[in-house]
Amino acid sequence: MKQFLTVLKFELNNYFKNKSFLLTTIVLIVLAVGIIAIPGVILGGGGSDSDNSASSNSGSESSQETETLALYDVNGSIADPQALSQAMGMNIEWLECSDENQVEDAVTDGTARAGFIVEDLMNYTYVVENRSMSDTLDATFSQATATLWRTQALEAQGVNAQEVETLYRSQPASETRILGKDSVGNYAYTYMLIMILYFLLIFYGQMIATSVTSEKSNRAIEILVTSVDSNSLIFGKVLAGAIAGLIQCVLILGSAVGTYQIFRDSWGGLLDVLFQIPMPVWAAFAVFGMMGYLLYAFGFGMLGALVSKTEDISKAAMPLTMIYLVSFFIAIFGMNDSDGLLMRVASFIPFTSSNGMLIRIAMGSVAMWEIVVSAVILAVFCVGAGFLAAKIFRFGTLMYGNPIKFSTALKKIQEK
Amino acid sequence: MKLEVKDLRKSFGEKEVLHGISFSIESGRALGLLGRNGAGKTTTIRILMDVFRASGGTVTVDGKTFHPRDFRIGYLPEERGLYPKKGVLEQLVYLAQLRGSDRKTARQQAQWWLKRLGVEEYAQRKLETLSKGNQQKVQLAQTLVCSPDLVILDEPFSGLDPVNSQILKDVIREQIQDGKLVIFSSHQMSYVEEFCEDIVLINHGEVVLSGNLDQIKREYGHNRLVIGLEAGTEHPEQLLEEQLGDLIRVTGHRKDQVIVEMKEGCTRERLLAGLLEKKLIPEEFGNYEPSLTEIFVERAGDQA
Repeated sequence: MKQFLTVLKFELNNYFKNKSFLLTTIVLIVLAVGIIAIPGVILGGGGSDSDNSASSNSGSESSQETETLALYDVNGSIADPQALSQAMGMNIEWLECSDENQVEDAVTDGTARAGFIVEDLMNYTYVVENRSMSDTLDATFSQATATLWRTQALEAQGVNAQEVETLYRSQPASETRILGKDSVGNYAYTYMLIMILYFLLIFYGQMIATSVTSEKSNRAIEILVTSVDSNSLIFGKVLAGAIAGLIQCVLILGSAVGTYQIFRDSWGGLLDVLFQIPMPVWAAFAVFGMMGYLLYAFGFGMLGALVSKTEDISKAAMPLTMIYLVSFFIAIFGMNDSDGLLMRVASFIPFTSSNGMLIRIAMGSVAMWEIVVSAVILAVFCVGAGFLAAKIFRFGTLMYGNPIKFSTALKKIQEK
Repeated sequence: MKLEVKDLRKSFGEKEVLHGISFSIESGRALGLLGRNGAGKTTTIRILMDVFRASGGTVTVDGKTFHPRDFRIGYLPEERGLYPKKGVLEQLVYLAQLRGSDRKTARQQAQWWLKRLGVEEYAQRKLETLSKGNQQKVQLAQTLVCSPDLVILDEPFSGLDPVNSQILKDVIREQIQDGKLVIFSSHQMSYVEEFCEDIVLINHGEVVLSGNLDQIKREYGHNRLVIGLEAGTEHPEQLLEEQLGDLIRVTGHRKDQVIVEMKEGCTRERLLAGLLEKKLIPEEFGNYEPSLTEIFVERAGDQA
């Protein structure tokens, strides 16, 4: 135990003195805090209601800004452009043009943000310099002209168009009473937690494998294995990686959640879907996430022991990385049906249960016995993987040269 | 403390590489483990250190099974290596702690050894920034930092310059004087002769010679003499063989000296009289004491 703690402390120090680890942590904290604080800082900060109302007003003013749009009404179909503006719900200054070239010129030279060449209310061309992904002007214009066309058609038949429009816009008053979990609401933070696990594993898995391999490549390994038992060595290394990852995760997520609590009103609660995570989900993330992480981390540690050069690590770690990627994609696809057969099965298989059970707890309905059974299976596999990793690590220690196949290592340790 | 190795065997797959190695050593003495490349020295040491498991045989200390983790062992492996990107003192303290020292003692010991070896100024430097010679001193410091009872040095002089070799020699002598049990593997026979009272010569996984070095030398020198004839004598070996072949057999030479073995019935007086009778004036005439290299070549060289 004393040796294990010595190894753990030494390996943790390696992480905390590692410049790239520190830099990554600081940069991510600054980014998280910065991004979340931006709206509050720009709008005068703070979470008071008055600030919030100010921000609402300011938001409404910005939406009332006047846009200049070019319009070439070929056949005089639009009797009142201002009525069209109203139908579009925008303040528009129409730059009326006499031909298509004028519309294009106005758009090209920036006089108008965009332009419309209208044959009639049901036929028009939208002219824009560069169309962005979020450009909704065309759709708004289309909806408005369609409304105008319907109004004209209805009035031509002596029907009160406004009444008809009101009838069509009527929506039943409804409310949703969720007795279980709201997958729509939970999706965002569950997705975020799965992504955090993914990055933790890919980043730290490689670091753990590199740490083991570099001790072989710099020949420190023979001194180490004659000074300390391999269980203490591999458990110390892997748990140090887990603790470092957890600390990094807590610091970054904690900064993000803390900052959001301060600027929540400025965001109008928009990011609640990311940061209002219930305690049971945090607990599931801590238990299943960390055990799953350890399971893979032991795997990366043992694969690191099978190669002698750090440049061989990626190749050696590829099968395990692929297994994790499969687990990751099962989780991502499974989020659409968190109580489906796929997720039920995945939540009990150790290599997929870290993501699977987390999703079921966050988004689906899962019985307590299922959680306990899955946790026990994962814990047993985790400890088993640790001892297997220690044995393979011990076997691979002095096998320099070409990478050793995992199957060969398994056979050899069985022979002993 | 008496370490005894009995009938140690090791196979890798189907191939047996150690065929029953036996030797023993007590505290305050140094044992030279000799052999050519691939003879089995490092494998024997790695079994002692529990890096490999023996296929057969026993290792005991004072009659009880030897478990390396129960003892403080200073081990300098043939494959040298530490953490190049870590500070010198930091890794020495870490390794001492792994071998049972508490942090404070580990730090004191590490600083003491760095000072003893003349590299204390590099304590806070990364290992990779030190010269090769200084890195080797740090290696030696890591070997001894845990105040070991048993010191195992696998090819310790490999790659050392004369100055560092002298420092290492002094340190090994101190360890022996302090009552440590030292096992020493080397190709360099002169170093072994300097420190070791006992030797074990391994060849192709078998002990071909073992025992007290002085006694071995005496036995090898028994009945053998060195004869140096007058300067300018041509082909002295051939001459002695021809003139005194009934009394001696020429076994070798050292520069201008001829090494001869007396045949049965021959005495030193008869040989001396024979030389004078044949008008072969010996400028040198005395007992032959073989060097360890000569013994090594004779016992291990012929099977190459």
